[in-house]
Amino acid sequence: MNRVIIGLMMALCVVVGAGLFGILDSRATDVFLEATRPDFQKIPIGVFGFQNGGGPEWLGGRIEEVLKADLQRSLVFSLVDLPAIGVKAREVSTTDKAIFKQAAENGVSVLVWGKSGQKNGSKDNELLMDGFVYDSGSDEVVGGKRYVGSTSVVRLMAHRFADELVFRYTGEPGIARTKIVYVAEHGNARELFVMDYDGYEPKQITADGFLNLMPRWSPDRRFIVFTAYRSRNTQDIDILELATGKRWTLVSMAGLNITPALSPDGNFLAFASSQDGNSEIYKLDTRTKTPQRLTVNQGGDLSPTWSPTGREIAFTSDRGGAPQVFIMSADGSNVRRLTYEGDYNAAPAWSPRGNWIAYVCRTAQRLYKICIVSPDGQKRIQVTTGPGIDDSPSWSPDGRHITFSATVDGKSHIYMVDTDGKGLERITFGGTHNSSPSWSPAL
Amino acid sequence: MRIPVATMGLTLTVGMLLVMQGGCSKKSIQSGGDAQSTERGMAKSGGPAPAPLASTGGMDAPSATFPDLSLSSKPDDLETGGLRGFDSVSGGKAPSEERLGGGGTMLAKVEPSESTARQIEDIRREQAKEQAASAEAGLRDVFFGYDSWTITEEGRQFLTQDAQWIKANAGALVKIEGHCDERGTLAYNLVLGEKRAKAVRNYLVELGVGANRLAVVSYGKERPFCNERNESCYQQNRRGHVVVRSK
Repeated sequence: MNRVIIGLMMALCVVVGAGLFGILDSRATDVFLEATRPDFQKIPIGVFGFQNGGGPEWLGGRIEEVLKADLQRSLVFSLVDLPAIGVKAREVSTTDKAIFKQAAENGVSVLVWGKSGQKNGSKDNELLMDGFVYDSGSDEVVGGKRYVGSTSVVRLMAHRFADELVFRYTGEPGIARTKIVYVAEHGNARELFVMDYDGYEPKQITADGFLNLMPRWSPDRRFIVFTAYRSRNTQDIDILELATGKRWTLVSMAGLNITPALSPDGNFLAFASSQDGNSEIYKLDTRTKTPQRLTVNQGGDLSPTWSPTGREIAFTSDRGGAPQVFIMSADGSNVRRLTYEGDYNAAPAWSPRGNWIAYVCRTAQRLYKICIVSPDGQKRIQVTTGPGIDDSPSWSPDGRHITFSATVDGKSHIYMVDTDGKGLERITFGGTHNSSPSWSPAL
Repeated sequence: MRIPVATMGLTLTVGMLLVMQGGCSKKSIQSGGDAQSTERGMAKSGGPAPAPLASTGGMDAPSATFPDLSLSSKPDDLETGGLRGFDSVSGGKAPSEERLGGGGTMLAKVEPSESTARQIEDIRREQAKEQAASAEAGLRDVFFGYDSWTITEEGRQFLTQDAQWIKANAGALVKIEGHCDERGTLAYNLVLGEKRAKAVRNYLVELGVGANRLAVVSYGKERPFCNERNESCYQQNRRGHVVVRSK
């Protein structure tokens, strides 16, 4: 708790400091202003090169590239182009105070650098990364990290360093080590895969040969719940333990068993089943294994998503004829309609900060886009544009990004975007069908 | 010396998982049969199990055994997710070493195995068999409007023919697959596909076919007949596909 408060105070100091520099320092160049003006609350950070000491040729460059991309995506920092503000040094060490001072005087709040290479005396060709941090507020080298591991964890070293930086300046763990579970075509089948949040290191986690759909993380990110077509003719909701590949069937009722979502405390699984005729939302107590039906009406109810407190559930219902997003209390009471604009709003995802619900909205031009709405319905923003058919929004644990799938010319890929529609990035490149992304919680 | 430490960490983690696993199984074993339900779920061996033909109405009890999912019952830092902050490097001191392995979240390797390939082949064969049987029976599919699950006049004519064949072939079991075009969300299209399949089933029942001979399944937009982005392709995919079931 103390660390969080200290972190927040530091972030405040830095932000105020950056503001002062912006006002007082008329020497700041246009490039610097361009980098910080539109989002002045971000912390200006400069990344020097990572010296290479005996490792593979690509090592230092790779670490720098991954780290910079992570810092950019954090939306906590803004990357400063150091040469553009007159800081020409590529590589520095902890004693290069004059260079740090020069960068600080040009408005940079945080500087990082490091070295990488073969670990001395390591028999298994282990690699090493050292990363260091200078803070202009205290005018000190505040500390460093040393990571050791095999070639396969080089990206993780950079991700972990980025998360440490975000943690230091916000008190939150950062998203650079988060993962995304998704569906991809494999042969004629659709199987589940897990990849890093930036699209690297995809790994297949099911191999059933038919259809596995709509995966979601457990809050402790050890399990994935999803819909599995047990045969071609029936569906179950299954749970898969990532570390062991062990699998259980959670729900096997008649009819559709779709859109599973575990509550934030893991004690309940909300899902939709059509065993009583039309699709209704149920809640399974994962401790007592007792299911409880939450919705009662003639329309189709599906896609439950929990508020971060676990007290409310947003969901899709076509009880008015066309699908719209509704909210109810977690016991099924107090149902109210949330979306009114347009005649097709579906697939809600409640942000982990609680302040937005992302969903698929159909525009006046009949395009399926990602929108966000505040839980009181007062604010609504269309986040994505363009011709793609967007689907399955899922929030990053920091609540600053949304991952979703978009189908363009018959090919589906996974993207991420900031809540303001900026920072759009495609993160899958292989294959022709990648869908249903779900972003893991942070740990 | 360093490798044993890492191995120990891994063993410890796996051990903890196993202990927790054991703990929950003990708590929740009520009716047994867990291993079977897992096997059944994965359908790793043999062909897919035949599905119940019609909704039984009653609530099936979910699998009695599965792991404890409560967040509060987990150790905080199971997968070394916790960050440790920066070490002081004053006086040229090196930061302490953090060893990374496994990629953060441990993932069990899934190798698409021979049995999967065999299973895919089984599914393909079974589908081909169903297709051939349906073609031979002359069963007609029903097509729907955008966002709609109302059976058209043409659809009614086709289903009248289908019903005659089904009634004349008392031993045949029929499956109605609901399909949708690529527009709209994956999840809602599964519901829409089921509405289409059930509309077809209900009309066949109205025509005197026994409901117990008609199974419904929705594939939403996940098993399209056609992959282009135009209305004639979309029309092909908004379909109630009437199939003679292979047993």
